[in-house]
Amino acid sequence: MTSRAAEDARTAWRLVAPAAVLLGGVALYPVAAGFVMGLERVVLVFHEHRFVGLANYRALLADDRFLAALARTAYFSAVAVGAELLLALPLALVLDRAVRGRGLLRAAVLIPWAIPTAVSAKLWAWLLEPGFGLVARLWPGTPVNWLGAPAPALHAAILLDVWKTTPFVALVLLAGLQNISADVYAAAAVDGASRWRTFRAITLPLLRPAILLALLFRSLDAFRVFDAVYVLTAGGPANATETLSVYAYKTLVRAGDFGYGAAISVATFACVALLSGVLLAVLARGAEDAA
Amino acid sequence: MRRALLSAFAVMAALLGCSERQAPEAAGRVRLVLKYGPLWGAPEPFRELLARFQQANPDVELVAEPMPNASDLAHQLFVTALEGGAADLDVLVVDVIWVAEFARAGWIADLSGAFPPARLRAELLPGAAEAVILGERTFAVPWYVDVGILYWRTDLVPRAPRTYHELRSLARAAMARSPGLAGFLWQGRQYEGLDCNAFEAIWGHGGETLREGRLVVDTPEGRAGVGWLRDLVASGVSPPSVTSAAEEDSRRRFQQGEAVFMRNWPYALGELEAQGSPVRGRVGIAPLPSEGGAPGPGALGGWQLAVSARSPPPRRAAAERLVAHLTSPDAGLVLALDYARNPARRALYEDPRLRAGAPRIAALLPMVERARPRPVSPYYQLVADALQGELSAALTGLRSPEEALRRAQRQADRIAGAAPP
Amino acid sequence: MSRARHAVAAGAFLAFFLGPFAWQALTSLWPEAELGRAFPTALTLRSYADVLAARDFGRAILNSVVVAGASTALALAVGAPAAFAVAKLEFRGRRLLLGTALAVAMFPPIATVSPLYVTLRALGLLDRLAGLVLPDATFALPLTLWLLTTTFRAIPDEIYRAAQADGCTPFQAFRLVLLPLAAPGLATAAILVFIFSWNELLFALTFLATPSRRTVPVAIALFSGEHLEPWGEIAAASILATLPLVVLTLAFQRRIVSGLTAGAVKG
Repeated sequence: MTSRAAEDARTAWRLVAPAAVLLGGVALYPVAAGFVMGLERVVLVFHEHRFVGLANYRALLADDRFLAALARTAYFSAVAVGAELLLALPLALVLDRAVRGRGLLRAAVLIPWAIPTAVSAKLWAWLLEPGFGLVARLWPGTPVNWLGAPAPALHAAILLDVWKTTPFVALVLLAGLQNISADVYAAAAVDGASRWRTFRAITLPLLRPAILLALLFRSLDAFRVFDAVYVLTAGGPANATETLSVYAYKTLVRAGDFGYGAAISVATFACVALLSGVLLAVLARGAEDAA
Repeated sequence: MRRALLSAFAVMAALLGCSERQAPEAAGRVRLVLKYGPLWGAPEPFRELLARFQQANPDVELVAEPMPNASDLAHQLFVTALEGGAADLDVLVVDVIWVAEFARAGWIADLSGAFPPARLRAELLPGAAEAVILGERTFAVPWYVDVGILYWRTDLVPRAPRTYHELRSLARAAMARSPGLAGFLWQGRQYEGLDCNAFEAIWGHGGETLREGRLVVDTPEGRAGVGWLRDLVASGVSPPSVTSAAEEDSRRRFQQGEAVFMRNWPYALGELEAQGSPVRGRVGIAPLPSEGGAPGPGALGGWQLAVSARSPPPRRAAAERLVAHLTSPDAGLVLALDYARNPARRALYEDPRLRAGAPRIAALLPMVERARPRPVSPYYQLVADALQGELSAALTGLRSPEEALRRAQRQADRIAGAAPP
Repeated sequence: MSRARHAVAAGAFLAFFLGPFAWQALTSLWPEAELGRAFPTALTLRSYADVLAARDFGRAILNSVVVAGASTALALAVGAPAAFAVAKLEFRGRRLLLGTALAVAMFPPIATVSPLYVTLRALGLLDRLAGLVLPDATFALPLTLWLLTTTFRAIPDEIYRAAQADGCTPFQAFRLVLLPLAAPGLATAAILVFIFSWNELLFALTFLATPSRRTVPVAIALFSGEHLEPWGEIAAASILATLPLVVLTLAFQRRIVSGLTAGAVKG
């Protein structure tokens, strides 16, 4: 290694050390503890705390409720994240445009993301109440029993999630838009490219890292969604909105079955890791293309 | 900009560092921590109640820490803290369904010395005593109670129904006279409130839900009870929104005059009779109906006071004194008159001061006397969750009540079977 | 996008995102007794008065500002140098760091509460605002790290090499040249971390006990009586809680401006 490279490496380690300490010190212990507990049977009420190997995971694979929650969570994530990306891209473009009042627009649009989740869930529950809520009043007719029937409830949860986090995605995409130098647009304008072609051929590819970043983190968050769903429906009706995190919460906290709850959390982690792996592979390919 | 940020950072660092340090225990003084759910109302009477304890016990420094009233949140907080080895709470409020669980987990202390079971049974309401006495040992002392009751509109129906059949026909008649009216509002959301409603329906059909320490729901009465609830939704006597309703949803709807009957806790009466309420003066309360016509048992709610098992002996003694103080007849009166909390002591309901100052509470005596606790079992929480899911499935028509109860029973048996003896 | 289309799009987005919020604002001005009605007969500031006076909400807002501000500062102070190193310097363990950060972000938070409680208790940080800043910043770090890495990667290498040719050490290049250029990314990260920490409920509820240390989400959670839910007060509190965030976003979003790199290479 050249001396410059060695010096670089040393500087790098010094720069990275605080982050590594924080992550390793504060975050890795709970994660590791979760993994360990997934291999044990820990039921607080009965003072049970013994090693059972992979028994929890075997039980998980045979657990209807877990498999249903997994399918449901996958559906929720796919639909929610897809909708959010579709909405956030035009929103980011709108927010990028240098018009008067842009600051206010950006701040205003961020408000759903800013309201505490429990409050926004209650707000939407209020809005969607059949007969009572604003939505039912504005569109009278056969009222959809939004929160009281299995299928609408899941979609109400998706709607809440989309409303709440599209601004977040838009913000990430907006940051990505800033990374595209204005020279590139100038060159395209000189070449006489239309707006749409500029967007498709130049903006979109250059925005790829930001899109994939947003996609990655939103998928992680959507797969682990808890607050919004729990406050909106508590996982009901008939477990129709029970996502993996809600199941884990009920197992961990209500029932005090720490071992099984940890196993559910680890299983969630595994699914998310798999998903991220796929997304990252796409991201890597994109980086190669751009290079 | 950078300088502004830096100075802001410095201020924050200072504020962080200066967050109040706990005063070290003064020599000879015992520091007692009470964790309770905030009582709704003016803070002075309760503060005075605590101050009186301080005056009578100058060697104790009392710290009162409110925590969320939401049962799930509070349960999670306690489980995390107690399991995490917290030794800095002494007296805690315990929901009526946690007592067996916390006792079995060894988190709350045996209070039989200071509060003998026999005395509790003599002085308190039968249901409340039953919930805290396990194996002839007292693990908590009831602080205030709650019970499910029936609300009815005195201007829409001539009397409160005694049987389920009567409820249905009275509701239908009123609904026919005023279209758009809801018949019977109750809580069908997938949460603990649904369990309360379901147990009330099962008990109302004459069923027992605890047999030799095991939870039983798959019985003829169980099926009848859940079938009755499902039928309410399917036949339209209850609006479809009932399957996502919690207490406040039912209360608000009823308060707007949009329903004939409601099942709810007594708290709603205060709101219904408040200034500006559309149904003020037109609401009556009654025990829940039953299949045979006898007053149906309401589910027992409310909170109890327990002492942490980890408190060392000097704090334990002081904690027991605090519990005695807070559950004394005088304290019960304060809670009733200033905070509309229903007392757990039977004698208070006939106390002239209560009758004069809180007549609504005094009128609850026939209902609280019959209040029945949900199955008192250390694994009630484990089972309750499965039960809620199955009940919700039955209500929304996803499964038949029979199938739902069969599945719930299977899960309950599995949990009971897996539990070490 | 033409001006008209832009206006229509902006209007549609505003209606969708702010509509419910406007309803919330209306609810906060609604007399409590009339909440079941279709529309209020009068508007009142009563809920706001109750929230600020009886509930000591101002204190909760102050606590939240302190915790969220400190979390943001910590996350950025730790994340920016690390992101720079990952983006611009060659060293083994680059992918390990990013991978670990991602792994941390993948774990369901509820499973981390109990072990964290034990950790914080051992460190003596329970019931201290600092004890909340630590997990908040740490769990915000993955997104910060990844976002800033992308930002630094997008800055052309020539700029970094030019700074080095001018005689800067890597750290000087980072501090004097690249950091200002990364302002949009930093501002974005700051906004996201602040809001995340502001609205964080689970940790705040579990790790703080004293009433005077409550943060905003915890305070709102404590509004509800045993059964009663003071919806007017909750609405008023949520409006009050959103205002600092709006102010913060207004301040920081000015930095999210393109063209900062334009002309940097030419000059």
